[in-house]
Amino acid sequence: MKYITTINDKKYEIDIDAHGNITVNGEARYVDFLALDGGGLYSVITDKRSLQVVIEEEKSNYSIEVEGRMFEGHVFDERAVLLAQKRGGLGGGSGEVKSPMPGLIVAVTVEIGQPVTKGQTVVILESMKMQNELKAPVDGLIQSISVQKGQSVEKGAALIIIAPPQE
Amino acid sequence: MVRNTAEVKGINKINKVLIANRGEIAVRIIRACRDLGIPTVGVYSDVDRTALHIRYADQAVHIGAPPPRESYLRMEKIIEAAKLTGADAIHPGYGFLAENADFAQLVMDEGLTWIGPPPSAIATMGDKHSARMAVQKYNVPLVPGTEAGLSDEDLFRAAERIGYPVLIKATAGGGGKGMRAVHKPEDFAEAIATARREAESAFGNGDVFLEKLLVNARHIEFQILADMHGNIVHLGERECSIQRRHQKLVEEAPSVVLDEELRERMGQMAINAARSVGYVNAGTIECLVDKDKNYYFLEMNTRLQVEHPVTELVTGVDLVKEQIRIARGRQMTPTESVLQPRGWAMECRINAEDPYANFMPSTGKITTLITPSGPGVRVDSGIYGGSEITPYYDSMIAKLITWGETRSEAMLRMRRALAEYTIMGLKHNIPFHINLLNSFKFIAGQIHTKFVEENFSMTTYETEVSEAEYELAAIAATLYEHRKRQLAGQVVSSGKRDASNWRWVSRWERLQK
Repeated sequence: MKYITTINDKKYEIDIDAHGNITVNGEARYVDFLALDGGGLYSVITDKRSLQVVIEEEKSNYSIEVEGRMFEGHVFDERAVLLAQKRGGLGGGSGEVKSPMPGLIVAVTVEIGQPVTKGQTVVILESMKMQNELKAPVDGLIQSISVQKGQSVEKGAALIIIAPPQE
Repeated sequence: MVRNTAEVKGINKINKVLIANRGEIAVRIIRACRDLGIPTVGVYSDVDRTALHIRYADQAVHIGAPPPRESYLRMEKIIEAAKLTGADAIHPGYGFLAENADFAQLVMDEGLTWIGPPPSAIATMGDKHSARMAVQKYNVPLVPGTEAGLSDEDLFRAAERIGYPVLIKATAGGGGKGMRAVHKPEDFAEAIATARREAESAFGNGDVFLEKLLVNARHIEFQILADMHGNIVHLGERECSIQRRHQKLVEEAPSVVLDEELRERMGQMAINAARSVGYVNAGTIECLVDKDKNYYFLEMNTRLQVEHPVTELVTGVDLVKEQIRIARGRQMTPTESVLQPRGWAMECRINAEDPYANFMPSTGKITTLITPSGPGVRVDSGIYGGSEITPYYDSMIAKLITWGETRSEAMLRMRRALAEYTIMGLKHNIPFHINLLNSFKFIAGQIHTKFVEENFSMTTYETEVSEAEYELAAIAATLYEHRKRQLAGQVVSSGKRDASNWRWVSRWERLQK
């Protein structure tokens, strides 16, 4: 199976054959990869290092933590790469703002139709005694707001959807 | 001369201690009681039935629903729990009721021993304005600022007089809530509204006052111990400049900027500040120190501090044991102030907060926990594998403390311990600490209270990320994806496998008959 994997802005062609042999950009690599807890903790032994890594995945978007450093990546198979190229490139984030944890909406700082820039505060959520500013993940226009001030929300609740900016 | 209550009342008996708290600090206090052979009573809300402090306490009493107001802040319920179990003393820990003078008074009125300072000292120091008035009489230097109870218009005029930048602080505040820095007049109105709103929701009191914001200042505090016999000493300083939004994240003792002469002067100032309110028991004088080593009194914390372990490691004093000793009316063990701390200690607060997502709090069940150990490592923790972090309480779940002969050794041990520390099931700030311990400025001790906000980033690393690390991350993600797909494939064609599992079960059942 052939994969195209991007880590931050670097691109790797990784091939895994039926026996589990791995090549990276055509070069063979020795890797022993073992789940430690069934919850994202892995032990990786290569010919150079023995490391513990934490892997999180959402729809083939990966966060990999190695010794306190966070790597963001995407894994595509060949077919997905072709499809993505037709759509105009790999990657591109979602404009959905979800509640990262249960809490109370202290304020919604945007209105429907308002243009926002990535990193702008859109909702203030109170949880664990702290007021947390939830930021816009992408540039765009506020398409919908599904919560209001004073409302309690569960973890993962959809709060705001940001549509891509119209050219 | 009759100095105080102990000589009037004689020795207070402490035969059983109720801990009016939860989490790591409740565990810490239970440990001190155990060391002294004193039985303990834990209290818990609905969600803390299986918390570590309840597993460690000798007795446990349920006190209500998860929100603090309905459990850990219910004074009468806690007194009732003490009466029910025969506890004759109450230790409040930090937070919750620790700095509530009414509760301290209630405990004493009910004939129980309060393991903490006199209610009058808590009340005076708890109000930042009356605290300033009290210490001023003892020539304790203060940061220029305003009194409490002023209107927005008066505060705005005062800000012009003091000079920007200014800091808005909640009169009833603590822990950074209701606190806002304002750098220019046009931001003043919005900042004051936010500060008042936060103070109102956190403390039920929206009153605020102003202080001059000292740029690049360090937060340095002195540990005080005082007994009922008039003895009072300081146990040296703690450097707590690594903060984010006024929440301390890393503390160390001693501080790189204090020499013995300055330690003696500041320590004497701290002792004077404590004396100004007739202080007894453990307390902390917080100060700001500017780049020219001018120091100013900030506030007094009339309780045990989160970061007390770093002082314990460089002085050899068990502060919680001393608190109990002092509450019993005995003479405390230390007889002299500490001018030459032994070695160096550092503490990293382990918070359930995601450093990669603006330190957003995180909740969940701890699925895997590997706790560091080895030479020079201490962990004060309230968690265990399988325990649940709920959204009702503070996000600090553990403290990692290391000791070394020198600051370098303490830091190297911290790096080693952080690398060992594995917590799965929720997001936490261990990656933040790992990166901080790689920061050259931090390593050099060039820090101030805005260091994290202004000089530190989680996305740029001071040491280059090697090509091998990128490749390893790529391989790990790809193998994960590959396995996921293989597994998905198996599920689709799993008819046969299910049948075989079923056969195995029935065969096993036949064998058991």
